[in-house]
Amino acid sequence: MKTKIMILPCSGIGKAYGEIGRQAVYEAVDNRPDISDTVCLGRLMIEDHELKDSLKNGLIITVDGCARDCAKKIVESIGEQANSSFRVIEVFKDHRDLKPAGILELGDAGFQLAHILAERVVSEIDRLSEEENKC
Amino acid sequence: MSDKFIEVVYDKFVFKADSECLYHKDECWVRREQKGVVVGITDFLQKTSGDVAFVELPEVGSHLSQKDAAGIMETIKTTVTLLSPVSGDVTEINSSLYNEPQLLNSDPFGAGWLFRMVPDDWETESAGLMNAEAYVPVMKQKIDQELSKK
Amino acid sequence: MLIQLGLKKVGIIPCNGEEICEGTITRFASRKVLDELRSGRTVTICLPLFTAGGTEERNFATVFPTITVDGCDKRCSQKSTERLSGKPVHSIVVSDVLKKCGIKTPSSRRRLTEKDQQAVDAVAEEIAKRVDEIQEGKV
Repeated sequence: MKTKIMILPCSGIGKAYGEIGRQAVYEAVDNRPDISDTVCLGRLMIEDHELKDSLKNGLIITVDGCARDCAKKIVESIGEQANSSFRVIEVFKDHRDLKPAGILELGDAGFQLAHILAERVVSEIDRLSEEENKC
Repeated sequence: MSDKFIEVVYDKFVFKADSECLYHKDECWVRREQKGVVVGITDFLQKTSGDVAFVELPEVGSHLSQKDAAGIMETIKTTVTLLSPVSGDVTEINSSLYNEPQLLNSDPFGAGWLFRMVPDDWETESAGLMNAEAYVPVMKQKIDQELSKK
Repeated sequence: MLIQLGLKKVGIIPCNGEEICEGTITRFASRKVLDELRSGRTVTICLPLFTAGGTEERNFATVFPTITVDGCDKRCSQKSTERLSGKPVHSIVVSDVLKKCGIKTPSSRRRLTEKDQQAVDAVAEEIAKRVDEIQEGKV
């Protein structure tokens, strides 16, 4: 059985971007439960050999809130590379009118932004999965 | 720590003021160069506004009076009108900011500069601006007000 | 030149764990303490930024007292904090708090319901209690 594609949000707590990315990942993974999943980013920073082994040679998508790219950097710090990366702020740039209500309580606009990002992530999951099936 | 910056630490936040700049109370700085001046936003403004997603800059060739609206900076939580700290003709804009607005956050005193201008009357107008030592107490008061809201 | 402002605050470091609902609770409980219960006396430390190299977060955690809030016994926040900045003064595990209070674990990691607020409140109260202990010099 092929390994699921791992989607890793940064879940930053200081900005709304973190929660938007997290919600987008949950929606994407719920939409593609057979081929994708998420794991705790924090586990990559402790001696969790089970997780690190499962990520080796697997496909990874990171979803960061902003240009600090914390999830992407954490993946790289364990010797892996993200196959694709997203930033919530880039989605916001395309939808300037969707401003979240708060940092964790996103409101309708915040959840709409999360949904738009989730759709992009799902497209990428499908693309990576298709590519992998061809190999 | 470089002598170029005065740093104010508040909890986990470090706010910087570049000692080579002069400051307007509306949070734009100006720095004299060989030919003209360069203008940017303060570290306090970028930190309290959040990640910059959009920037609008003045037109090259346009004239700005002191405190004229020189541009706009928009984040997910606020839109800020940027006011020119001095009067003069705009000679160059930092067009990198259109594709990389995050430069305003990562390097507000360096790569995140906004525009260059030839000032009309530098001697008179600069005398009304604050140097870093005078700006820091103003910044400290604003930090207290801003962060004690949280 | 460096100038220090502000009272000595306590840093709260939630694990934000994505896999289980307890991770979601760490986020809401920590922000509740920051925004309501101990407003002006605490800061939150963003664990991903902290581990990815955020110097402000790491410097704060080296100098100021911290409380880690983990969803489960893997204790990712506690272990990362110990490795990067030093031992936290308190380490809270959400699953332990819920068990102690007899509160049922929420069913969804994605959205907490009004009923789940009880779980958030219990963890937030525990964090707030620990903040008080630190700031009253009882630890």
